[in-house]
Amino acid sequence: MSDTHAPRKDPQGHEPGASPGRSGVALDRFLTFGAVVLLFAVFSITAKNFFTMRNVLSLALQTSTTTLMGIGVTFTIITAGIDLSIGSVVALTGTVAVMAAIAGVPIWISWLIGLAVGGVCGLANGLLITRLKLPPFIATLGMMMVARGLALTITNANAWPAPEAFGSLGNDTIFRTGAQFPGISYPVLIMIAVAFLCHFILRKTRMGRYTYAIGSNEEAARLSGIRVGWVKIFNYIVCAVLAGLVGVILASRMVTSQPNSATGYELNAIAAAVIGGTSLMGGVGTVGGTVIGSFIIGILTVGLTMQGANYFMQQIVIGLVVIGAVAFDQLRNKA
Amino acid sequence: MKKLLLILVALAFIAGFASAQEIAVIVKTGNSSFWQNVQTGCFDAQKELKAKTPKLSVTFLGPQSESNITEEINIVESAIDRGVKAIVLAPSDVTALVPAVKKAKDAGIPVVIIDSLLSGPASNYVSFLATDNDAAGRACAKELIARVKAATGSDTGNIAVMSYVAGVGSEIGRVGGFKDYIAKNSHLQIVTTQYSNADMPTALNQTTNVLASNPDLVGIFGANEPTAVGMGRAIAQAGLAGKIVAIGFDGNAALQNFVKDGTLQAIAVQSSYNMGYQGVKTAYDAAIAKKKVPAKVDTGFIIVTQDNIDTPAAKNVLY
Repeated sequence: MSDTHAPRKDPQGHEPGASPGRSGVALDRFLTFGAVVLLFAVFSITAKNFFTMRNVLSLALQTSTTTLMGIGVTFTIITAGIDLSIGSVVALTGTVAVMAAIAGVPIWISWLIGLAVGGVCGLANGLLITRLKLPPFIATLGMMMVARGLALTITNANAWPAPEAFGSLGNDTIFRTGAQFPGISYPVLIMIAVAFLCHFILRKTRMGRYTYAIGSNEEAARLSGIRVGWVKIFNYIVCAVLAGLVGVILASRMVTSQPNSATGYELNAIAAAVIGGTSLMGGVGTVGGTVIGSFIIGILTVGLTMQGANYFMQQIVIGLVVIGAVAFDQLRNKA
Repeated sequence: MKKLLLILVALAFIAGFASAQEIAVIVKTGNSSFWQNVQTGCFDAQKELKAKTPKLSVTFLGPQSESNITEEINIVESAIDRGVKAIVLAPSDVTALVPAVKKAKDAGIPVVIIDSLLSGPASNYVSFLATDNDAAGRACAKELIARVKAATGSDTGNIAVMSYVAGVGSEIGRVGGFKDYIAKNSHLQIVTTQYSNADMPTALNQTTNVLASNPDLVGIFGANEPTAVGMGRAIAQAGLAGKIVAIGFDGNAALQNFVKDGTLQAIAVQSSYNMGYQGVKTAYDAAIAKKKVPAKVDTGFIIVTQDNIDTPAAKNVLY
C-alpha cells in the first residue's frame, strides 16, 4: 500500500532508470512516511487543537479531495500522460449533479449522473488522445476549458442551492458517539475504499501491468500486443470518474452548485502524485505514494492555518516541499 | 477561412449596431451572478430610455474571465472603432485600461467607469460609479462590534477575517476598511486573515481550521460571495450557528438562506443592479442628452439582516 515506487522494470525488461534495490524501497517508504509523522508531530506541538480526534477527522475529510483527484491523475501520469481537465471536471460534475437534483431527480441518481458525466469527459479525453493523436497536455487543456464553460452555461454562472438531502454524502458521518468521537465522514471512507481498489487495479491486474508497460516504453508495449489505445482510454476514464466523485462530494459538502470552484485543483493533485514519487516521464508511481503526497500537502495546509501562520507563507512552504521532494527523489535515484 | 468568415459576420453585425445610438457596456466578465445582475440593470435602463431615444441600443460585453485583461482592452478598442456613443466600463485592471479609455476620450466618446477604480487623470472619464468598499467594510465592522457587544456584553475577544484575493482593489478597500474600523472602535483582536482565492471549498476548509484552532472566537467576517458561503457552511457544520457572530458580503440565494436560518447575522449587499442601471443612465445623459453628470456616484449597499430581508429595499438588491 505504501511503497512509493512501482517496479521500474517493465514487463519487456526495459529498464528506464536505475532500479532501487530492495533496501532502497524500504528506506524510501520509511522516509516519506516518516515525513508525514514528523509534520504531524511538529504541528501537534505548535498548533493549538491540532492533535484532537475532531481535527484529525476533519483533516482526513479536507484531504480526501486532493487524494481522490491525485489517485486519478496518477493513472494518467504513469502512462506518461497528464490530465489538466480534472479541476474543471470537478466543477462540471458537481453542478450537473446539483442541477439534476434541483430538477427533481432522486438524490442518489443525481450523484450517479455526476459520476457518469465525469466518465464521459474521460472517454472524450481518451479518444482525443488515442484516436486523434493529440498530446495529452493539449487534449485535456481543451477539455479543461470546455468543461468549465459547460458548468458556467448550465448554471448561468450562479450558485444554486441544492436540496438539503443532497448534503448527506459530504456531511454525514458513521460511528458517531457524540462529542467525543464525531464520526468518520463518508468522503473519508470513500477515499480509503478507492485507494485500496486502485492499488489493487494497478498492482494486481493485467490492466495495471499494461499501464506501467505503456508508460515505460509505449512502442515496446504495442509490439508485445498490448492494445495501448484501450488501456489509455481506461486510464483517462478512471481519472475523470474520480474527479466526478470529488465533484459530487464537494457539491454535497457545499450543498450548492459551484461553477467557479475547484480552479487549479488539478495542480494540487499533480503535486500530490509527484511528491509521492510518481514520475512525470511515466512508468513510475503508486497509489500509496500519492496518498502520502496528498497528506503531506493537507497536513501542511491545515497545520499552517491552525498555527496562525501568515497565509502567504503557506504557499511558499508548500512550493518548497514540492521542489524538495522531487529533488530528493532525483538525488536518491542517482546515488 | 472559417475565421475570416466569422470576422466578416461579426463586422456586419457591428455595422448594424453602429447605425443605432449604441451605448457599449463592457464588464470584467459575463460569467457570474454579480455581473448578470449588472446586465439586468443596464437593460432596464435601456427600456426606460428608449421612450426618449428609440434608436438607442445597449450592448453588454465582457471577456471570458476576470483575469483576461487584454481581451477587455480589445473589446474597448473595437467599440471605439465602430463609433459607439458612449462606453460604460468596469475595468478589470487599475492601470492596463487607461490607454484605451484615453483613446475613447480623444475620439469624443464619453466613458463612465463602474465598479472598480481606474488610475490616471480623472478627466479621462466623465463619471465613476461604485460601491464605496471602504464604507461597506466599515459598516460590516460596525455591525459585528454591535452584535458581539449584544451577545457578550463587551467588545473584547478574538475575531477572524476570511478574505478572498489578496491585493485587488475592492479587497484593499473592503477588508482594509473593516480592519481599520475594528482597530479604532473596539478592543477586538483579529487573530488571522485567510485568503480563499474566491474558492468556496477552500473557504469552507479554512474556516473549519480557524474555528478548530480558535475555540474562543467571538466573531468572523467573510468578505465576498463564495468565501461567505463557504464560511457559513463551516459554521453550520461546526455546530456554531448562532453561537458566533458571523457577517458575510454579497447576497446570493445561499447567503440569504444563511441569514434566514441565523447562521450569518448580517450580509452587506452591493447594488450591482444599480451599477448597471445608473451606469447606462449616466452615459446616456453625458453622450446623448448632453447634460452635466456627477463625477462620482456611490451606488450603495445595504446591510441585510433577519429583520429586513423581506422588505422591498432588501429585495431590490438581493439576487
